[in-house]
Order: sequence, then structure tokens, then C-alpha cells
Amino acid sequence: MDLHTTHEKRAGEDLFGLLFLVLSVGMLWQSYAIAGFSALSSPGAFPLAASAVMLTASVIVVVGNLRRRRGIDDGPVLPGSVAVFVGLVAVYAVALGPLGFLLASLLFLFAGMKILYRGGWVASAVIALGSLLAIYVVFRIVFQVVLPEGIVPEREWMAAIGNLFSSGGTE
Amino acid sequence: MEALSYFLTAWIDPQLLFLVGLGTFAGIYIGAIPGLSVTMAVSILISFTFAWDVNNALCLMVGIFMGGVYGGSRTAILLNIPGAPSAIATALDGFPLARRGEAGEAIGIATVMSVLGGFVGIVALAVAAPFISEFALTFQPRDYMLLAILGILLVGSLSGESLAKGVVAGCLGLLIGTVGLDPLTAEERFTFGFVGMWNGISFIAVMIGLFGVSEALGQLQHVDTAAVKQKISRIVPSFDAVRKYLPLSLQSSSIGVIIGALPGVGGDIAALMAYDFAKRTTRNPEVPFGEGAKEGLVAPESANNAAVGGAFIPMLTLGIPGDAVTAIFLGALFIHGLNPGPMLMIEQPTMFWFMVGNLTLANLFLLVFGLTGIRIFTKIVEIPKGILIPLILLLSVVGAYAVNNAITDVYWMLGFGVLGYFMKLYGYQVGPVILGVILARLIDENWRRAIISEQESLGQFFARLFASPLSVSLFTLVVVLVLSQTPLWTWARRRRVRA
Repeated sequence: MDLHTTHEKRAGEDLFGLLFLVLSVGMLWQSYAIAGFSALSSPGAFPLAASAVMLTASVIVVVGNLRRRRGIDDGPVLPGSVAVFVGLVAVYAVALGPLGFLLASLLFLFAGMKILYRGGWVASAVIALGSLLAIYVVFRIVFQVVLPEGIVPEREWMAAIGNLFSSGGTE
Repeated sequence: MEALSYFLTAWIDPQLLFLVGLGTFAGIYIGAIPGLSVTMAVSILISFTFAWDVNNALCLMVGIFMGGVYGGSRTAILLNIPGAPSAIATALDGFPLARRGEAGEAIGIATVMSVLGGFVGIVALAVAAPFISEFALTFQPRDYMLLAILGILLVGSLSGESLAKGVVAGCLGLLIGTVGLDPLTAEERFTFGFVGMWNGISFIAVMIGLFGVSEALGQLQHVDTAAVKQKISRIVPSFDAVRKYLPLSLQSSSIGVIIGALPGVGGDIAALMAYDFAKRTTRNPEVPFGEGAKEGLVAPESANNAAVGGAFIPMLTLGIPGDAVTAIFLGALFIHGLNPGPMLMIEQPTMFWFMVGNLTLANLFLLVFGLTGIRIFTKIVEIPKGILIPLILLLSVVGAYAVNNAITDVYWMLGFGVLGYFMKLYGYQVGPVILGVILARLIDENWRRAIISEQESLGQFFARLFASPLSVSLFTLVVVLVLSQTPLWTWARRRRVRA
């Protein structure tokens, strides 16, 4: 296969190729564990074939990587901001259940925008709140997507708003 | 004449007309917003429209389908996030065009070509439905398998960098697609003893992770670069431009119709095949492919909308879905008491012509909404990235969660987001992973069906394969595609040049 890749090798590329190689060996092992070589139509036959092809291609990639030289250093592979945001999304996902969609999302948007947008506290809070409301209307109210409620008494609020409108209508 | 009156039902009824229009408009935005998929919208709509009159429900859903397939192209062009799998190929050249400040023109061309492709698909549905469905009937399981493998290889070769990396990505997708209980024997595959893994890994979570999250993470490094001001002075493409790309659009639409009509493969593969076709056949594009070639936009956009009409052919005539969306659509038809299949054409020709009429109407609405709503839409890219990135991440989390109401899907999405970030960093395409996930089941089942019918004999399998012209053609294509990426091919070509 074509080994003449165009981009210059980056830091960690050898390791990433090796990780895929190890993964494909692991998958090959796991595929074999499904049904062995019992039959061509066994549940394990297709995964076995797919992981064998993946292993072959991974070897070609790793060998190809070894032949190439490191390019000029073009910035860190994992910048701090990427690591911070991966952590932030993970915390958000964990908090989604207990805190509920509204509160967790508000905190996530506020933190994210405060870090990236570098605006003031008030500006970040206003934008976060405004965009969250728009998303809430589209997803929760228009599309009726079920989102975790958590500690926010969302249903009571909706009922209160509903009552407000209905009482307004009767007056 | 009778057919014409059924065809025009929705055109003359104000309520139905409004519903088709509303569906198309909503579809464009649903298709465009990452995390909101047409599949999801149509499946939610089924529960909404359950009690509706069947005609009203169909009008709304046809509109959403048509608009959604097109809508995915908008975020593909503006944000490099395909709103739907059918827009994966659109992003390859659409996003570079937007980065050059030509988003308006790119969306204009994408719209006109989508509409053109849509009409080709509808005409094919109306005229050739019986012929094409008959052709698809002759397909053997091995042909489906070969076609799916061809699809993955084509996507892998699109990366242009290395087929080996494309194959690694494609196989990874295939393996992800096999996680869970085997649909035929209920044996566990890659579940590692967790009951939660029995249903496999949510395809939507993988897709949002690889396309939404990894893109947002990648953009974090360029937060301070000012968003490109989109030049949207010209949206309606010039007549010359349309005429110039018309032949390519018609050819791509034909690919779209044929691929769309094949059960199991839909607009996503049609778009990628058409893109590949354009890349191979266009001599001297004004701009190289991958850097903003308009041909790279025309081909997939014509093909994926043409595939809508194509996908309706097996759905209405055979009762076999063309892709995930048509599968849900099929479910909706069943819910409303219709029985798509060969008998539908005979017993209820009204329904067939009503659908063709709705599709045509939705396509016209597409032209109107596609060419008018862009100015507000392009404002999205002018939002500072510091605001946009947290919003994309939030939408991704909500989208992944909403499919099964499971936090686990969000963790999968985040994991694939990080994987996708590194894959892109090191020159691996993420497209083949998604295709692998979608097609794993199809390849697996058809392989097993094929080999069981040959009494588990590989020799007999190949003997039958070489006896069928269709199978031989597909098999040859697969082999040639692999060989064309090897040093062997370069060596042979050099020798021939020297000779």
C-alpha cells in the first residue's frame, strides 16, 4: 500500500500507530474467543476477518511511520485547552444526572465561555443563559426530548407557567 | 390522468401544502444542527403524528426527509461538521470554500444541485421504479457484501494520504458495529461480560463524537483566529455556473439514484461514490479537490438528494428500506396502516403518486428555503468561536443523550471525540469509521447468508461469484481499488511508461 504519505511525522505518531496495532491484536484475540475457527458462518468469522485486515493495515502504517522522519515541531500534540475541555465535558456528563440538564448546562456553558470567550463575568453569564434558553425551547419543548431534571423543579415551573397562561386566558 | 390528480393532491390542498413546506423548512434546520438527525426527528414525529390523518403525516415527514438530507450540507460547509452522514463528502470541499469566504456561493451551488439531483431522483422513482426494483431483486447476498466493502474502501481512498490508514479506520468501524449480541445467534461479541453492551455502541454517539466533539476540540487551538467573514453577496449561482456543472450533476444524480435504490445503502454512500467519481473524472479543476473544488460540492450534493428518490423505489415497491431514515419511514407507513411492497403499487396506486407529488413539492420548497434563509444562517460562523465551541459541545452531549436517554452514550461520545481528535491529528480519516459502523451488520449478515448457501465452501463461493457478471464486476472493482494504492501499481505504471 502507499507508504508515501504527504504530511510530516508529528510527535506521538509512532505511538498512536502502535496503539492501533496493539488494539487490532487484542480485537483479533477477542474475535477468536467468540467462536474460534469453528465455521465460516460463525458469529466470530466476520470480526476475525475484520481484525485480521486491521492488523495487516496497522503493520503497514507502523512500518511506514518508521521510514519517515520527524517534521519540524508544530505545537504541542495535546494543548492544555483540549485537555481542559475534555475534562469539562466529562464533569458535565457526570453532573447531568444529579444536577439536571438546566443547571449542569448553565454551569458548563458559563465555564466554557468564560475560559474561551474571555469576556466579563456578566457577558459570559448572559450569553450562556440566553443560548441555554434557546436550546431548551428547541429540544425540550419543541422536540420533547427527555432531559434529566435533577434538582431543578422543572415540572413545577412548567405547571406554574401553564397556570399563568390559563388564568390569564379566563380573565 | 388519474395519476396526475393524485400527484397534485398536496399541491391544491392548503393544509397539506403548508405541512410539506413546514416539514422542508424544519428539515433543513434539523439536518443542519449537529446532534439533531433526520432519523431522530422522523422517529419522534412518528409518535407525534400517530393520531393524525395519514396524508398529513406523510406530507410533514416527506418534507423533513427532503430538507434534512440537504440541510446537513450547510453545517458541513460552514463548520466542517456534516449535519448528517450524507453530507460527509460535502465537507471535504465545502468547508475550504467557506474558509476562503465563499460560503454563500458554496451554499447556493449546493442548493441548486441538490434540487436538480432531487428532481432526477423523483423522475427515476416515477418512471423507472419497476425496472430498478427488478434489477435489485437479482442481487445476491455476496453482491451486497461486495458493495458495502467497496463503499468503505472508496471512503478510505478519499483520504488521499494512505489507504492503509483508511483501512485501519474502516476496520475499526466494522468492529465497533459488531459489538453486542449477534443478531443471528444471540452470541455475545466484544461485550466483555457487560449486559449494557448487549445492544452495542450507539451509532449516533460514535458519529457525534467523531464529527462534533473532535472538530470542536480541534478548533480549540484556533480560538483567537477571527471567524472568516462570509461573503454572501451572491447566493443564487450564475446561469453559466449551473450550465458548467450540469453534466457532472446529472451523472452524479444517476449514481445517487442507483445507489439509493440499492437496499441497505443510502445517500451517504451515494455522495461519497459521486465525490470519488468527480475526483477521478474532472480534469484540471480550478482548485484541487479537498481545497475547495466546486466539483467536489456539486457531485455529492446532487447524488445524496437523488438518492432520496432512489431510496423510495425499494421502499415503496419492495418494502425494503434504503437506509436508516427510510427504515424509520417504513415504520411510519406501517403505523398508518399502509403496507409498502409489491402490492402497494397494485392496490393503492393513489398512495404511490401522492408520495411522488409530495416529494416534488418538497423539492420546490427546498429551492425557495435553500436560497433565501442563508444570510441569517451564515451568522452562525460569525459568532466568536469562544461562544460557538461550548455550544457545539453542549449540543453534542444533548444529541448523544437524547437517542437512548443514557449517560453512557455521552461517555462513548466523549471517548470517540478524543479518539477522533488524535486520528485527525495523525492523518487518519474518520469517515471510514462511521461507514464501517453503519455497514458492519450488512456485511456480516450477507457474508453468512452467502457462505451458508454455498455449504460453507469457499471454493463454491468463488465459483458462483465468478459465474455472475454483477458479482465479478463488483469483485474486480474491489481488487483494482486495493491494487491501485500499492507500490506494485506505481511500479507497473512506471514500467509501461518506460516501455
